[in-house]
Amino acid sequence: MAQGWGDGLPLIPPTPDRVQDFLIAGGRFPDELIASLPPLRAECTVEKIAINAVMAGCTGDAMPLLCAAIEAMADPMFDLAGLNATTGSVVPALIVNGPIRNRLDIPYQAGCLGGVAGPAVAIGRAIRLIMRNVAGQVIGATSQSVYGTPGRVAGIVFAEWEERSPWAPLAERRGVPGDAVTAYGAMGTANICDVVANEADGFLDMIAKSMAYPGANGFLPSSAFSEALCVINPIWAEVIGRAYPDITDVQAYLWDKCALSIDSFRPEYRNPIGNLGRIKPDGRVHLVPKPEDMLVMVGGGEGGLHAAMLHSWGTCLTVTRPVVAA
Amino acid sequence: MTIILDPSASLAHDITDPGPDAGSLAGKKIAIRIDMLWRSWDWVSDIWAQGLRAEGADVAFWRSCGRTGQEGVEADRDYAALLAKSDMAIVGLGNCGSCTSWTIADALTAAATGIPTIAVATAHFEGLAHNLAKRGGRSGLRLHILPYPLDILPKEQVHDIARDHYRPFLRGFGVRSRLAEQSAA
Repeated sequence: MAQGWGDGLPLIPPTPDRVQDFLIAGGRFPDELIASLPPLRAECTVEKIAINAVMAGCTGDAMPLLCAAIEAMADPMFDLAGLNATTGSVVPALIVNGPIRNRLDIPYQAGCLGGVAGPAVAIGRAIRLIMRNVAGQVIGATSQSVYGTPGRVAGIVFAEWEERSPWAPLAERRGVPGDAVTAYGAMGTANICDVVANEADGFLDMIAKSMAYPGANGFLPSSAFSEALCVINPIWAEVIGRAYPDITDVQAYLWDKCALSIDSFRPEYRNPIGNLGRIKPDGRVHLVPKPEDMLVMVGGGEGGLHAAMLHSWGTCLTVTRPVVAA
Repeated sequence: MTIILDPSASLAHDITDPGPDAGSLAGKKIAIRIDMLWRSWDWVSDIWAQGLRAEGADVAFWRSCGRTGQEGVEADRDYAALLAKSDMAIVGLGNCGSCTSWTIADALTAAATGIPTIAVATAHFEGLAHNLAKRGGRSGLRLHILPYPLDILPKEQVHDIARDHYRPFLRGFGVRSRLAEQSAA
């Protein structure tokens, strides 16, 4: 902690023996460069990942996932430089697909976004320590986040309940079948509750309208682009899937309903939004530019009643990478 | 004694030199980088551009928009093309976290071409701008600091600030002109 290497929680000393075990489990050379991480733009090697993973309390079998996650976050499309410096409260959420979900016990059922015991907490914390110790993201020094978010301590690491999804897995739809990790710039998580709807359009209406709030980054007068992610519980997903077996129809529905009238914005907002070409002929502004920018996946408990929405920070584009086992 | 390994990383190199002075303005092509966020920077840079043109410079504005995806690829290409035909670069505005990150990144790109470059940020983000420049390998990057908060001020007041800061800005940029060398008083 005195070295500034910690997050306030106890750390496991990264002794050479412990780190060696992780390197063996990862099956990669310790000096292999995974990425250069901003703002420090320093080299993140396999060894640095292993050291921080030990400190966070990970197990060695998470090394392939950690390496793939760092690769995804370092993709220029993800804009990690801006994300790590912003006044916003964004944190990269990591969504895991494929059989590795079960091998690593990544949660996708009840409590998957936080609270369920398991190794995802340490995996998320390892990523956060890497951002702090290797990328150099430090509040007040390089990060200007006004509030931060609890996800900046142990990350947001969860999986998709593929077996209960009526649609193909998220990563597969993004071109990466099998074991994969998707990095998504999440402005935290928020809940959507509906105890009335009992058919697909009712659930989707509630999700879409809940996601369309004017302070979302996707509605900023400077935002030409944003994405949005909703996690649908398996009970609702089954109903929605029967009505809309094609996921692109779900995305199109959500995109259409997730919009605000330009008249609902004060006058000084209208010109900047209009200058971005975001006002449709019907006078509405959509949260995200296109239906495919509305990301949809299945997860959560069988209690139903709730969906989760994770708004995007904005300019960071979601990146999916394969997780390659050692 | 327990040996523990270092989890941190550091950048091996740092350029502490601010780079070449702007020198004379007459006949020079000056690129001013603006953005989608800050009307106040539009107002300040407009006032400064008037002054620069009065000194004989040719000023071209470039507005940073989306910087990821295909839009980002095209933006990087356009920015590089602008820098290639410019003699100096003024890059702003660092007035939030991510926009300071992009301001410094674009200033570092300009400085790396060898042309006189200065980044502009507001006071609240001065520390971040210095940190990012240092961590980007060029701690000597020239930086001019405007007051904070700036963007919530009325246009007339921002124009006054722009005029007040013009000569200090020129001096910080290494401009050699009678105006720059006059005392602010």
